[in-house]
Amino acid sequence: MKSIRRELLLWLLLGLVVTVAAAAISTYYQARREAKELFDYQLKQLALSVSNERLSVLPQSHARELEEDLAIQVWGQNQKLLYSSSPDLEIPRQPRPGYSNVATRYGRWRVFGVLGHDKLVQVAQPLSGYEELAAAMAFRVVSPLLVILPLLGALVWLTVRRGLRPLTSVTSAVRARTPAALQPLPESDLPEEVQPLVHALNDLLGRLGRAMATQKGFIADAAHELRTPLTAVQLQLELARWATTTAEREAAFDDLQRGVSRAIHLVGQLLTLARQEPEASERLLQPTDLSEIARLAVAEQTPLAVARQVDVGVSDAVQSVIQGDPEALRVMLSNLVDNAIRYSPAGGRVDVAVTHRDHHALLTVQDTGPGIPIADRERVFDRFFRGNELDVPGSGLGLAIVKGIADRHLATIQLDSGAGGRGLSVSISFPM
Amino acid sequence: MRLLLVEDDAMIGQSVHKGLRRFGWSVDWVRDGRAAELALQNEAYDGVLLDLGLPRIDGLEVLRAQRRKGNDIPVLVITARDAIEDRVEGLDVGADDYLVKPFNMEELAARIRALMRRRAGRASPVIALGDLRLNPATREVTLAGKPLALSARELALLSALVDRPGAVLSRSQLEEKLYGWGEEVESNTVEVYIHMLRKKLGADFIRTVRGVGYMVSKSV
Repeated sequence: MKSIRRELLLWLLLGLVVTVAAAAISTYYQARREAKELFDYQLKQLALSVSNERLSVLPQSHARELEEDLAIQVWGQNQKLLYSSSPDLEIPRQPRPGYSNVATRYGRWRVFGVLGHDKLVQVAQPLSGYEELAAAMAFRVVSPLLVILPLLGALVWLTVRRGLRPLTSVTSAVRARTPAALQPLPESDLPEEVQPLVHALNDLLGRLGRAMATQKGFIADAAHELRTPLTAVQLQLELARWATTTAEREAAFDDLQRGVSRAIHLVGQLLTLARQEPEASERLLQPTDLSEIARLAVAEQTPLAVARQVDVGVSDAVQSVIQGDPEALRVMLSNLVDNAIRYSPAGGRVDVAVTHRDHHALLTVQDTGPGIPIADRERVFDRFFRGNELDVPGSGLGLAIVKGIADRHLATIQLDSGAGGRGLSVSISFPM
Repeated sequence: MRLLLVEDDAMIGQSVHKGLRRFGWSVDWVRDGRAAELALQNEAYDGVLLDLGLPRIDGLEVLRAQRRKGNDIPVLVITARDAIEDRVEGLDVGADDYLVKPFNMEELAARIRALMRRRAGRASPVIALGDLRLNPATREVTLAGKPLALSARELALLSALVDRPGAVLSRSQLEEKLYGWGEEVESNTVEVYIHMLRKKLGADFIRTVRGVGYMVSKSV
């Protein structure tokens, strides 16, 4: 797994090591150059002073082994070696006076020759001398850094841990959240790197909480509303059991059948409504012709209309293609037409129309029923709201379903009185 | 005994109405709060079965208004509101009992009988008066240990009288106990049932108070 701490530590220490190495190398080269100049100067001074001395003054060389880091040679005429402080070293006579490097059996030596009037004086020093000096200087510069390196590592480790501590507390706070307790995480005292994450999490928690509350409310409402039809069924069943005559029993079973149908209808409407919840609908919107949906819904509701002696029809159907969910739109229109038929008196009339207005597709369902009092027009879209019309069976969910589907299509609903101030006119305006 | 049923749901109302009449009680059924207030104002009931979620006036409001007026009629709340707070509120506002939907008819009837028993100040479910024993739950009547076969109307009339021994009930009061709204009442029905009861119970059991009505004595 990726770790910010390990990553940070690795790169910081790597950077430090590279920096230290670069410092060491540059110090070494600079020190070597300076040491070389110094050595060369010393060599030259020594050679000049030797060339001014008489030969006899020079110390005789006893040792066969090289003991000193300095060699002096005096060459006479005809390439004759007159004097050598370290015969063992065997530095040849250089063709030209001045500086030169010579490879000997004791490594490379630096030689400076100065030409007198009858002799050549050569003074030599091992090149390793100033390389060692340079290395020592470079080491002196770098060594404190090498000591600091592990300390710095520890410091980085601790700082990163300290810096990441808010993440640990956020983690435990998130862990403490349950579907039942989705209160926001504390956002104060957070470093600005963590704050956006927590803010986004809180946002999500909020939306989740609202969705859960909606669902819970819906389930509570649904359970509550199911009591009524189930109570009816229970009572109808008891009456059926008590029936003493065949006629009584048959009537009781008819009642029971109606009770069960009502419960089934309510469950169906609840499911439809649940499917229209914004969180639940996953179907994509597609180009859909509203006039086609209108014809379909009216055809579907015609048997009910015939049974109730209501004249239902499509009065106007302009082709209107909107972005929509055809199945949902069919459910919406079926609910509207079903309502209109149920609330219409025998001999009533229900008109469905699809027209255009201001770049909107306008769907209207108009009936000749009792209409909805102005005071109730807001509340009729609430789930389970039922007006004072007690004799029309219904779940109280039809218009809530219509509203849910309209919302998904960004459509607006308007309730008005029908033609001549009678009945109800429902207009739904879809953006095209 | 005459009850007022206040229930907006057509199916539940119809079933309870039918079912309670099988117990020999007469039941008037209204479907909203305003009709309930009107009925309570105009008729004398022995008890009210009150739904809470009512159109026009909420059931709790109806109950509150009755209690404020000093009406101590037994009220059994029948509702889908089952939260503890709802039950507590219902009882505190003045309900005598609280029944949560879905319920069944037997339980509803038993609770109604219990309410009536309490109102009459009896602890025993069996009404005893002299040699007469009347069990409202089983609707069994015995006289000196021997079972009596009574029709539903006879039983209703007898129950009304033995429920308040010593009290004189007028003919119209007794008619109300026998018939709900919309039921045809024949002019001499009460006299007919009184006559039949006297044949079964003995002539002295029910006394006629001339010009006033009928009664059974506390000590027969």
